[in-house]
Amino acid sequence: VATVDATVSRPRRRRSGLSERRLAALMISPSLLVILLVAAYPIGYAIWLSLNEYSVRVPGLSRFAGLKNYREALTSSEFWSAVKTTFLFTGISVSLELVIGLAMALAMHEAFKGRAILRTVVLVPWAILTVVTAMTWRSIFSPDLGFANTVLRTLHLPGAHVVWLGESPYALGVMIFADVWKTAPFMALLLLAGLQVIPEDVYDAAKVDGATAWQRFWHVTLPLLRPAILVALIFRTLDALRVFDLAFVLTQGANGTETLSLYAQQVLTDNRIVGLGSALSVLTFGIVMIVSFAYIYFVGGNIRTLAEDT
Amino acid sequence: MRPRRIASVFLAVATVIGLAACGGGGGGGAEGTTTSGGSGKTLSASDAQNAKGNITWCIGKDTTGAFSQMVKLYNQQSSDSQAKLIELPTSADQQRTQQVQRLRAKSPECDVLGIDTIWTAEYASQGWIYDVSDVINSRKSDFIASTVDSAKYNGKYWAVPFNTNAGFLYYRTDEVQSKPTTWQQVYNQAKSDHIVYQGARYEGLTVDFLELLYSAGGKVLSDDGKTVEIDSPEAQDVLTFMANGVKDGAAPRSVLTYMEQESKDAWFNGKAAYLRNWPYVYAEAKTSPIKGKWAITTLPKWEGASASGVIGGYNLAISAYSKHPEAALSFVDFVTQPKQQVTMATKTSLPPVLTQTYDNAAVKKALPFAPQLRAAVQQAKPRPISPVYPLISEAIYKNVYSALQGNTSPDSALKKAKSQIESALKTF
Repeated sequence: VATVDATVSRPRRRRSGLSERRLAALMISPSLLVILLVAAYPIGYAIWLSLNEYSVRVPGLSRFAGLKNYREALTSSEFWSAVKTTFLFTGISVSLELVIGLAMALAMHEAFKGRAILRTVVLVPWAILTVVTAMTWRSIFSPDLGFANTVLRTLHLPGAHVVWLGESPYALGVMIFADVWKTAPFMALLLLAGLQVIPEDVYDAAKVDGATAWQRFWHVTLPLLRPAILVALIFRTLDALRVFDLAFVLTQGANGTETLSLYAQQVLTDNRIVGLGSALSVLTFGIVMIVSFAYIYFVGGNIRTLAEDT
Repeated sequence: MRPRRIASVFLAVATVIGLAACGGGGGGGAEGTTTSGGSGKTLSASDAQNAKGNITWCIGKDTTGAFSQMVKLYNQQSSDSQAKLIELPTSADQQRTQQVQRLRAKSPECDVLGIDTIWTAEYASQGWIYDVSDVINSRKSDFIASTVDSAKYNGKYWAVPFNTNAGFLYYRTDEVQSKPTTWQQVYNQAKSDHIVYQGARYEGLTVDFLELLYSAGGKVLSDDGKTVEIDSPEAQDVLTFMANGVKDGAAPRSVLTYMEQESKDAWFNGKAAYLRNWPYVYAEAKTSPIKGKWAITTLPKWEGASASGVIGGYNLAISAYSKHPEAALSFVDFVTQPKQQVTMATKTSLPPVLTQTYDNAAVKKALPFAPQLRAAVQQAKPRPISPVYPLISEAIYKNVYSALQGNTSPDSALKKAKSQIESALKTF
């Protein structure tokens, strides 16, 4: 059809001087330009800032520094401890969120009375602002008057006298806990969407073949849910790698909770070391990019094969 | 054909963007020709006479209505110049961010800036504010000396004191027999009755540490600001004293998570006999669960040395980008007069900066501890005045925190703080 159409209208097109493809390119170029302005320009500018030094004592004084800021960042122990903290936080919290989110999704997928209410209730933590969540957990885990320690004390459980946010492994533990509490519902929502597209007849077939509930979950649900799981994992991992608000409110980065974003913000905003701060932001950006490319490389291909298989 | 064309469109756009980015950066580089610090702009006391034009006052949130009342009064008595209030966020960090964004953009929007004392050096060195030395010198004796010191940088005055602040010791009268006179006494009794303060890893810990350090006669920087003296024997004593306080339970380990709010709540709930906090706790304590069972005193002495403190509060600076600096000055002059200072003190409970305001009957009624308040402000000293103050403070609170936790010995914590402050002073 296209060929016929093209032959018929060719003379007219020639006159106007625009091919269909050119017209298309022209028509998307404004939006492309906006995307570039909004996304690429700030990134480019941050990279430029990171290659310079800006004086904190003389107004307007700056000098080109090349890779000096990167050298400084990569040789500082604070940077590497922030990298460690960030990955530890991401690894543990995303794994927990996946397990809990999956359990929640499976529960919500079952047909029972009050399912609609459950679905709404489960989403409440996700709807609350992270800063508010963090403030809440901060007061719950406050040492003397906090809810957590009061409950532990009343039940005569160990840990009633632990200063949760003032000791090294516990502070990160609270941060992970708060993150899991908040975002497991989000994970559940994404997985629930995945569960709903799995056709019922696959399960019927499995039942006819005599598969147990566990076998149906392991050999039917899980493989068919994989694309949804992978998408959810990408979302959550990239989010967790950039975590800032939880650490900022809970501990201001004390006791092993200083994440990359928090560290970059402190250098850039509080200490006003623009060059180094930008270098740290660019490095954070780079790490997130590498992780997302890794996901797309290993996992994205997977999604395609899965899509072709079905 | 198609992918290549799209790619070429993409490339063309990218080039444009790239050029724009370089252009922006290049502009920054060109400004680098100015080499001297400061704006080079000065205002003298007599300039306030030529007040003409409308001005805007940018200061933290007006929670009590005192600021807008001052603006109203100014507008009533002045015909050539009218003022307007822009309320910035409540948090000091957010206020600074808001102001700095405008100043970096050379925006004339804010004529009068309410600045935290610790920003003075930064704003002055960046050339964002007027040198008002002549204004201060013309009425210096009216102000409490320490408040004027908080506006000084490089031998010049950059702002007019507006309100001030200093730490206090609150204690339970049913647990403490007599008014404590030394920190050693306080900590000794605190072994059984406890003391709470701001021990989280943030600016508040720097302040609490410096209060003790200044009392013991220690310093962070030498008077010329060039040598770091934070590893002095006095500092060693103070940090060892504080670390032992946490170790032997005089200060519960929970202080390591306390900011102003949490420490106050702990004290209100009977978790400690002593509390170090700001004057605002006074009003709240009157209706707290421990009402009638507490007293307030200025910070005690360090045994064998003196009593001191750290000065806080807000000063008023005039933006170098103001279109009507004379009007801005006349406004600043107006709100720092005795009458307006009384309004501020009675409405906001913030300590005034003029010596005589504390004797005013209305002020004494609103702040019954006015004499202690004046004494506390008088004995207080500013935090290190430097454009790299945030780095200095970070070096202090991070290392002090680590010593309080018991992860580092006081000696090595101070050595580390010293080397970090030294490299901070060398920042480009």
